[in-house]
Amino acid sequence: MSIRLESGPVVVGRAVSTGAASPSPASPETAPVIFDIKGLNVYYRDFHAVADTDLDIHRNEITALIGPSGCGKSTVLRCFNRMNDLIDGARVEGRVLYHGIDLYGPAVDAVEVRRRIGMVFQKPNPFPKSVYENIVFGPKVAGWKGNLDDLVEESLRRAALWDEVKDKLDGSALDLSGGQQQRLCIARAIATSPDVVLMDEPCSALDPIATYRIESLMRELKEQYTIVVVTHNMQQAARVSDRTAFFSVDVGEEGQRTGRLVEYDATDQVFTAPSLKETEDYITGRFG
Amino acid sequence: MTTDQRPEFHAALNSLEETTMDMADRVEKMVGMAVRSLVTSDNSLVTEVISSDDKVDELYMDIRSRWMQIMARQQPMGRDLRMMAAILELNNTLERMGDQAVNIARIARATAGLPREETILAKLVEMGDLVKPMIRTSIDCFVRRDADECLLLPAMDVPVDVLNRGMWKHVVECGHDQPLLEWATRMVLVSRALERVGDQAVDIGEQVAFLMTGDHHEFTRYTG
Repeated sequence: MSIRLESGPVVVGRAVSTGAASPSPASPETAPVIFDIKGLNVYYRDFHAVADTDLDIHRNEITALIGPSGCGKSTVLRCFNRMNDLIDGARVEGRVLYHGIDLYGPAVDAVEVRRRIGMVFQKPNPFPKSVYENIVFGPKVAGWKGNLDDLVEESLRRAALWDEVKDKLDGSALDLSGGQQQRLCIARAIATSPDVVLMDEPCSALDPIATYRIESLMRELKEQYTIVVVTHNMQQAARVSDRTAFFSVDVGEEGQRTGRLVEYDATDQVFTAPSLKETEDYITGRFG
Repeated sequence: MTTDQRPEFHAALNSLEETTMDMADRVEKMVGMAVRSLVTSDNSLVTEVISSDDKVDELYMDIRSRWMQIMARQQPMGRDLRMMAAILELNNTLERMGDQAVNIARIARATAGLPREETILAKLVEMGDLVKPMIRTSIDCFVRRDADECLLLPAMDVPVDVLNRGMWKHVVECGHDQPLLEWATRMVLVSRALERVGDQAVDIGEQVAFLMTGDHHEFTRYTG
């Protein structure tokens, strides 16, 4: 019997056990691929932020991106809905296919991309408006023709917030607690009927109880949406995700730091017996 | 160049492993003393085995307590998590091995005045001589993280199982003599205890393989 831990190229893909994170009888090997990323390189002017990343994101799963600061995990996340377009000097190379369509193709409308692929940020950022207006803002801009009251209730229910705010829909969103504000942001993101919800450190500004509520919500939401979450919290990645992608940083001779994908596998595997020593060192705290 | 970012946690984990190895050393000695007490009818050895088991039980509780604290406070992952799982298994296994040694020693005390049959005694000594290196091998493999050498353990266990299965034949041959039969019948229990100790050494080997590979494998065992 030989030892499997060794340095080597990126390790990608194995069967996913949904484990404690999900009671759903998923058939992970056959879960369709929503994002098919090949040879992704991201630059900010001359700075090479992410190198040569290949990654598949599967439908109705939670995929966690983990790694040390500066490893490019948030940069990769922003490629999923072209948020990097908004950053001056950002350049994306490689293939980012969403349902087989090149997201960066010339005919693709970035606004439509962001409607289908919503995003929740680190710090809750509700608009300084009422709870109701926060939910209906995006759909109105997108020309929503249905019943707005129904949309608000449905979105808030899906975000597990309805019972707490149903009597103060006209109150300011800024009067809600931090955890409630983040769930409002999730409700706002799903109000536009997205296919994918991206979350960038969604719980880092929340207390443990609010964090567990968001994690519970994520597990419910994945029945309808595909979720990609960036987190510094490895326990959180272990608790909620089906697959985990571990990114690391290469430091060049002149100190330039370039992120790269090291290992991508079923979460159970990554946190109990990762294939690569580099991953093992990171998750066991032997790095730096 | 990697730096340990969790030195306190890893120190606690290393300390837990050291305590487990201390327990293993004690159990190995206990098995040896128990078999010797059978041959020599030396009651002081029986007493020593029993008092050693008190210490082993104390270590068992200490390991369990520290294990719980580490899990609650540190949430280990990867090879650290596998080490924690292996230590929990070893702790149970070693405690039971200690109990088997006590069983043998108590039988030695209870049968001290009875007539003995030398063939049976020689077989039991042989079994003892076979299982002690199995314990040592399994522990050395654990310490050295040697997932290859521990694969030898099932083969080392085969003659132990063969001797255990053949024990009845010798006991039946003592049927003509009531006191001798009483002694021989108790020796079946000793044989069974040593056979279990051999199996438990293989169990430890399986934990070494799990620790190093992350795969749960039951080693192929003798079933003849």
